[in-house]
Amino acid sequence: MTFELTHVALLCLLYLLVIFGIATLTERDWIPRKITEHPITYVMSLGIFASAWAFYGVIDLAFQFGYGALAYYLGTGALFLFAPVLLEPITELARRHQVHSLADLLVFRYHSHGIGALTTLCMLLGILPLMALQIQAIADTMHILTVSRDPAIPVVGTGLTFKDLMALTYCGILALFTVLFGSNRERHRGLITAMAFESLIKVFSLMAIGLLAVYGVFDGFGGLENWLERNPENLALLHSPIREGASHTLLLVFVATAVTMPHIFHMGVAENPILRNTRTVTWAFPLFLLFLALPIFPILWAGFELSVPLPAQYFTIGVPILAESPVLTIIAFIGGLSASTGAVVVITLALSTMVMNHWLLPFLRLRRRQDIYSQLVWLRRAVITSLFVGGYLFYWMLDNRQSLFHLALVAFIETLQFLPGIFAIVFWMRGNRRGVIAGLTAGTIVWAVGMLVPMLTGIEDIAVPFGDGSLSVGMSHWSEITLISLGLNTLIFVGVSMLTRQTEEEAYSAELCAADELSHPVRQALDVHSAGDFKSRLAKPLGKVTASREVDLALRQLGLSISERRPYALRRLRDQLEANLSGLIGIHVAGEIMDNHLPYKLAEARDTVDINLIENRLSQYRSHLTGMAAELNNLRLYHRKTLQELPMAVCSLGRDKEILMWNRAMAVLTGITSDDVIGSHLDDLAQPWCELLGNFSQGEDAHLYRHEINLGGRPHWISLHKAAIEGPSSSRRVPQPGYAKVEDDQVILLEDVTETQLLEQELIHSERLASVGRLAAGVAHEIGNPITGIACLCQNLRYDTDNPEVLDTADQILSQTDRVTRIVQSLVSYSHSGQNKKSAFEAVILRECAAEAISLLSLQKDKKYVYYDNEIAVNAIIAGDQQKMIQVFINLLSNARDASEVEGRVILESSEDDDNITITVTDDGEGIAEEHIDQILEPFFTTKDPGEGTGLGLALVYSIVDDHGGTLDIVSPVDRDRNRGAQILIKLPRHLNSLLTGTPVVSEASYEGGTEQ
Amino acid sequence: MNNQRLVILLLLIAYIFSPTLFTWIVNPEGAWYRPYIMWVIVIIIAYAVQARKKPS
Repeated sequence: MTFELTHVALLCLLYLLVIFGIATLTERDWIPRKITEHPITYVMSLGIFASAWAFYGVIDLAFQFGYGALAYYLGTGALFLFAPVLLEPITELARRHQVHSLADLLVFRYHSHGIGALTTLCMLLGILPLMALQIQAIADTMHILTVSRDPAIPVVGTGLTFKDLMALTYCGILALFTVLFGSNRERHRGLITAMAFESLIKVFSLMAIGLLAVYGVFDGFGGLENWLERNPENLALLHSPIREGASHTLLLVFVATAVTMPHIFHMGVAENPILRNTRTVTWAFPLFLLFLALPIFPILWAGFELSVPLPAQYFTIGVPILAESPVLTIIAFIGGLSASTGAVVVITLALSTMVMNHWLLPFLRLRRRQDIYSQLVWLRRAVITSLFVGGYLFYWMLDNRQSLFHLALVAFIETLQFLPGIFAIVFWMRGNRRGVIAGLTAGTIVWAVGMLVPMLTGIEDIAVPFGDGSLSVGMSHWSEITLISLGLNTLIFVGVSMLTRQTEEEAYSAELCAADELSHPVRQALDVHSAGDFKSRLAKPLGKVTASREVDLALRQLGLSISERRPYALRRLRDQLEANLSGLIGIHVAGEIMDNHLPYKLAEARDTVDINLIENRLSQYRSHLTGMAAELNNLRLYHRKTLQELPMAVCSLGRDKEILMWNRAMAVLTGITSDDVIGSHLDDLAQPWCELLGNFSQGEDAHLYRHEINLGGRPHWISLHKAAIEGPSSSRRVPQPGYAKVEDDQVILLEDVTETQLLEQELIHSERLASVGRLAAGVAHEIGNPITGIACLCQNLRYDTDNPEVLDTADQILSQTDRVTRIVQSLVSYSHSGQNKKSAFEAVILRECAAEAISLLSLQKDKKYVYYDNEIAVNAIIAGDQQKMIQVFINLLSNARDASEVEGRVILESSEDDDNITITVTDDGEGIAEEHIDQILEPFFTTKDPGEGTGLGLALVYSIVDDHGGTLDIVSPVDRDRNRGAQILIKLPRHLNSLLTGTPVVSEASYEGGTEQ
Repeated sequence: MNNQRLVILLLLIAYIFSPTLFTWIVNPEGAWYRPYIMWVIVIIIAYAVQARKKPS
């Protein structure tokens, strides 16, 4: 059964168009995201793992190794089964640092650009046979389908056979597809969906052929069992090769493919958010592999039964042809086509990234002023095209001499050489670049001499200066060559790594990569101070437009603003920028740009651990922590919460004065939230905190008591305490020369003592008043007696003489002693105040008291003439001592009178609420100077002329009001426009009984309206 | 976290002993699809383990 060539060509074209269409539809969002972003889609897209080799070549493998062929699936399946342990650390690294290829990953970890170039070279050498395999499989199957035309005849004038020409056309169309879909920078969702679709086709067609083999050829499983019983040599074929041990090596070869094969790495690590889907991948991918592996043996046996006249590797297509089923033949062909298409596309994409990033970009200077993005896209297109040309040339050179199995082995064994280097990324921090370069080179040389060169040239032994002079090489020795190359590679890698030292940068990267997530990322200082600076710095290497676009993109990704100044945020921004640029122009060039234009100042803060980053990571990894680590994390959270909720303001500073912690009380005290301040430098804090904390943290003293600062226009008193924290020790912490005094992190505790300070001031004030009172009592007592004596003697003198001059003198003396007596009296009454018992209080009608005081004052004819307006309400009744209240009014009114102009007006008013009565005495005088208001209530303070006042009047009022449980306020000036007048406000608790009965205890208001003098 | 090294060690041991296990699985006495049955069992176990884990 054969097909027309045109039909087959049309079929190929149609299939490619379908794949093309699916990719386009996904990119344009015409396929629901529910499908394109489903975990199963991702898992299926990983199916590019099964290239044409898995579709055709594996049957040959089963023929040669029996059950050993399953190693191909089991190895990779096991790797995905243990994905959370084996793959996740690498995918997580790749995600965090935007690693796009294996070479990038190795460069990142070993900090050597040489490794990137070497990896790319080895990968190209190793993968070209795999590409040739895919092309050969397509060319061969097309040949088989259209064999009647005899495409092996050379096409006139070209030197190519017709088959080669078909292969060339196929390569051309695929190259076009890859160029169109793989060369832009975005995540290639279209590609992922297309690859998932092709995996589906692949597994479907393989299962279909398997079912054809079982039911079409053997009449069901019963028939198959009978056939096996009749032909026991086929069962024996399953078991015998395993005992030879080669299948063991086979398992080793295939185990590594999931991480070392560039297309699987590309799909699994670089393109796929595999991390999100780890849980599904662990079981779904092995299941997918099971479906691929199930039909192998039935197809092999069906091939035997039908005596397919093809090598075992093409039984997949041979069985339906001989079973005379054109539909299934087409399905088998499409399955093979899709298998090789997917693999070739992704392999080229992965290799193009490597070639660009590690071979071309480090040496090309992109023209900055033009659009860097389109330059990169065109460059990548060129690389993809040349890779297709390279793959085709390799296929053409081999000229169909090799079986698919041999081609696959050559490719797999070379990629296996990367295993030690990759293993050490996550699991062995001491591995260094010299080790990797030496080991990889040695392994690759053994492989090239043992397999690649013999495959190309056909030699079977090489002359060596030892042993019997010649060494057998070639495909028949693949098992030995695998073990020798990998063994030598590992040995040299470990040996060289142990003997040589890592550079500082390499050790830093190694720590970042280590699977031990609780390592301590070192905090380094940047010499840029704002996000805006990044743009100007990057404008030099990238051009203004690109720099601005990249910085804005990174800021958006991190949720930061351009005004950002926090060192912590700026470090994140730098990392994000480096990661983004790595995706754009490769880790090599991006690293170089960053190191040249935004360098870290390594020297200063080498041992400063980035607490914020650790916290950040721990919170990200919380769900990954198990056992002891989870317990420790809970403990950490508890302690952190304790500090956060501590009812005292606490902050901690790194040794470079970066704020590491800022608890809730601190946020309340300062009014700055912790989100705004964590990670910023102390100097960027708002005043007065910047100065206060800055000076204190640098000062010698561990305590600063009652520092006065102004907050919101009011004075506050803050006590500060600090202690040194010895930061978490770094494993690499070695004493640095020039660090005579090792500074530590600090914890600073702030105590708001404003309340205490105010209370103390009040206490001091009343203590002073009390001592003045005691002094006054003593003075009154001491002066009172001699004055009484003087007064008595003076009285006597008046009776003893008639001399008018003497009498006048005696009167003078008497009036002066009267005055002294009055002063002494007021001193005594001041000193006796505060001794009232509240139980002795009775209802006092304030209006009456005021009227009494007014009438008494009006008797003083020698004083100024002023009007008193007594507008105190009749029901303003308080509990108190009436005489004292009269005294209060006399003092207040006489002061008001003294301050007023002649014929001025003094107004007494009252207001009330449920508990208190407020009376005001307002004059229209010149008011009280602002500087005197604080002192005016102190005893002996007076603004009157000497001899005019004792300075005890208001002090006595205050003391009486205080005894009554009231308060006194002074307002001056009352009239702000004219800047005149003073008002005394007295608030007293009202008499509750009178309130209850509702009848004021008033006889009758004796004085209505104002009394004037 | 350091447990991962133990897992690696376990895998290494599994690799060394796998021929014995392999021989048992592919014992000619059994049906030819015995390895596939083992494979299905492993997948079911993996699924059960993943399904039991709390979502992160």
